[in-house]
Amino acid sequence: MKTEQYLYVHSFESMAALDGEGIRYGVFLTGCPLRCVYCHNPDTWTVAGAPFTPKALADKIRRYKPYFGDKGGVTFSGGEPLLSAAGINETALYLDGYGIKYALDTSGCVPLTDDVKTSVSGAEMIICDVKMWDDETYLKYTGMDMANVLDFLEFVTDSGIRLWIRTVIVPGINDSEEILDRYLTIISRFNPEKYELLGFHTMGFFKYENLGIQNPLEGRKPLDSETLYRLQSYCNTKL
Amino acid sequence: MRSEWRDFADGVWQTEINVSNFIKKNYREYGGDSSFLEGPTDRTKRVNGIVNDLLIKENENGGVLDIDTEHVSSLLSYRPGFVSGEDIIKGLQTEKPLCRAVNPFAGFRNAEQACKSYGYEMSVKVREHFDYRTTHNDGVFRAYTDTMKKARHVGLLTGLPDAYGRGRIVGDYRRIALYGMDFLIDEKKKDKTALGELDMSEENIHLMEDVAKQLEFMGQLIQMAKEYGCDITRPASNAYEAVQWLYFGYLGAVKEQNGAANSIGRITTFLDIYIERDFAEGTLTETEAQELIDDLVIKLRLVRHLRTPEYNDLFAGDPTWVTCSEAGVTTEGKSMVTKTSYRMLQTLYNLGSSAEPNITILWSQNLPKPYKEFCAKVSIDTDSIQYENDDVMRRMYGDDYCIACCVSAMQVGKQMQFFGARCNLAKVLLMSLNGGKDEIYGEQIAPEGKVYDEGEPLNYNEVIKSFKSYASWMARLYVNTMNVIHYMHDKYAYERLMMSLHDTNVKRLMAFGISGLSVLTDSLSAIKYAKVIPIKDERGIIVDYKTEGNFPKYGNDDDRVDDIARDVTEFFYNELCKTPAYRNAKHTLSILTITSNVMYGRKTGSTPDGRAAGEPFAPGANPMHGRDCEGALASLNSVAKLSYTCCQDGISNTFSITPETLGTDMDDRVNKLVTMLDGYFVQDAHHLNVNVLNREKLVAAMEDPTLYPSLTIRVSGYAVNFNKLTREKQEEVIDRTFHCKM
Repeated sequence: MKTEQYLYVHSFESMAALDGEGIRYGVFLTGCPLRCVYCHNPDTWTVAGAPFTPKALADKIRRYKPYFGDKGGVTFSGGEPLLSAAGINETALYLDGYGIKYALDTSGCVPLTDDVKTSVSGAEMIICDVKMWDDETYLKYTGMDMANVLDFLEFVTDSGIRLWIRTVIVPGINDSEEILDRYLTIISRFNPEKYELLGFHTMGFFKYENLGIQNPLEGRKPLDSETLYRLQSYCNTKL
Repeated sequence: MRSEWRDFADGVWQTEINVSNFIKKNYREYGGDSSFLEGPTDRTKRVNGIVNDLLIKENENGGVLDIDTEHVSSLLSYRPGFVSGEDIIKGLQTEKPLCRAVNPFAGFRNAEQACKSYGYEMSVKVREHFDYRTTHNDGVFRAYTDTMKKARHVGLLTGLPDAYGRGRIVGDYRRIALYGMDFLIDEKKKDKTALGELDMSEENIHLMEDVAKQLEFMGQLIQMAKEYGCDITRPASNAYEAVQWLYFGYLGAVKEQNGAANSIGRITTFLDIYIERDFAEGTLTETEAQELIDDLVIKLRLVRHLRTPEYNDLFAGDPTWVTCSEAGVTTEGKSMVTKTSYRMLQTLYNLGSSAEPNITILWSQNLPKPYKEFCAKVSIDTDSIQYENDDVMRRMYGDDYCIACCVSAMQVGKQMQFFGARCNLAKVLLMSLNGGKDEIYGEQIAPEGKVYDEGEPLNYNEVIKSFKSYASWMARLYVNTMNVIHYMHDKYAYERLMMSLHDTNVKRLMAFGISGLSVLTDSLSAIKYAKVIPIKDERGIIVDYKTEGNFPKYGNDDDRVDDIARDVTEFFYNELCKTPAYRNAKHTLSILTITSNVMYGRKTGSTPDGRAAGEPFAPGANPMHGRDCEGALASLNSVAKLSYTCCQDGISNTFSITPETLGTDMDDRVNKLVTMLDGYFVQDAHHLNVNVLNREKLVAAMEDPTLYPSLTIRVSGYAVNFNKLTREKQEEVIDRTFHCKM
């Protein structure tokens, strides 16, 4: 008999309305290969948290089925959910039986294993957070290079799965039209339905303190909404 | 057929009083969207402008614009009053808008104190009127036992209607429009004759006297309307008269008595029938139809009662609960939404958002989608409306019930309620741990029992056993206290006009309430799943707890703790049912606190869940502030598990979410709110107040009230103007969980 994969959950957000279409149930899984300097969830970096069997997790998600309507469902996020691809795939079997669809909110920064491919193919939508615009900056700000992300996006596009791309705009790192042009060059290759910019915020700063981790952006101001609006409008005219 | 009934479909409604039958035979279902709606006329804008100026003055004046200290409020005490020469729907409580009446029938001292606290003196004339008169309050205190007084004093039972009007009775004001008073009087006389054929038991004599009192006030209502130039002895012959006749009934009721909640019932689909007939006859336009509803609502927004500061502490924001219920579906499953259901909502745009009337949507999965979407939009724009689950209430109350006050369902004109405030169950737990002593006063209230030891962790099985034994004692005392109150209320402050608009053989509900459910639940969960060690003071009373370890908290869709909430509620309801209620009333139970959750908290010592002494409770059935940490839907799911079957007087849940969390733009937010409401109610949840706003906006309004003068917010079964709350209550509202995304 096959042993069940445990999934390690950091937290649940039962109304993660913005992580996909319709009302989303957010499952935040622990473990992440990246160490983004602007990460607002450093408490999800290492695998820890409450262990769930795929059945237990699917049953918990099922409690929210009444709210999903035609469009809603569960979104696996993290951390990096695709580190738990095998567990997600087992969970997905139960979800399928319950008539619940899932989306993945990922950095795409994982090797394209069979498990990852299965996770992607089974998803109704991929939300990919493209962190930086080239290998150099990716390495500098996340600790890894960008090759996995590009392979991942290519696989998503080839599989015909719906794709949204997002980027967090951090003041002083990527908050200019010139840099956005670099992102747009990459992103346009994958033809996403939507390219959404998110403003860097400081609401996760307290977590660094709690964890005793040095916060690389300590003292950095959140992105103001006017700049975010201006940059988003710029992207909208370009894509 | 009578000319006023021309073109109406025949039915049994023509030979007996049966408004429900009339509605179902005649209403026209509307499944379209809101695009037909009209804005306010210039006249409406002018009149509304006058009213808004008065509201500002009222606020500047400390909350009361004026008091008429010369008259005792009743149907014929005052000459006709008007807002302006342009009133369409006529009638004010006193001679001037927002001038409050003095109504001492429920309690003389209360009325006197209320006058004084706003710098007025009751006139000698009014005093003399009550010199030789027993009020409801006098009667109650003659019969209260020492234990009842103690339970009331320490705050085990609070907010009892023993010094103010009980309210929550809804006359079927539609009957006046449909039948005219002559017909209604004839029917009452026939009822009285029939009662006269029965043996003269105490019960029957009581009812005969009730009917005689009703008849007297039916006559006075005719006279009151006549002074405004209207003949309500006959049925209404068009839409204008239907609105006016119905409003006269309501107006007479609020002149006669000053009960806490004066709800108007379920009127929009009824009125729509008259509007549609006028449309067909070419005598009314959409603009005029909207103007009629707008003008009715202006009048309803002007309803006021004179209250004491202590009363305002219980029910903050000067509410009158002119609850207006609408929508729902028939028992055959057909939507009861009409264009006038939309017109009522439209008043929030035409006149601006407002706490009153308390518009209550009877939500069914089967309501038309465009109507659901319009409701959601109104919620997002105004935070002024609430939702209650028609699909669960219809099973128990049929399809012609309305909501009184916040969440109390009753069949219109067929059921009445004996309102019973609530019992503080969190405090009962503390009392049970102290062997029947109050944790604040140290007095022995209940029979002596085991006092738990200091330093020893509490054992759940033992605690639940002693809690249940004290809850059972409490339940009996509670029912008996209510019996005294309502006996005296019937005797000294009987609602003659309202009850005349009910069937003579009315069915009675006695509505009990629980406060502190989430505190009690989390405390029991702490005792069960963590280690709770009592700490005593020098009197030997347990006044605090050391709680070690984690425990599941109500509000996270966790059955381990949600089941506790469900079980204690069911247990307490069953215990209440063991003591017979006055006039054979049926026991019902609500989990609703109005805004008194702040006051209940103030009167309750530290609790094992970690809540410090004096801290506010969560409102109604809400999870405690900040403890629902798995997001909005988990919180909703926990509340949805409470059983309406044992809480047929309502389970109140107040929900605040930021616009950004709900969705990216209006369309998205509307769709998600509709999906959320459907998802909550399909699980048989009962009630939801919806606020879509940011905490920052409330903080700003608290600091500078002029920023948002009409900021309306749903609190607990009703809405208030945020600026009318005290600082303490504003802070409590701001502390509540706002579901938002990080």
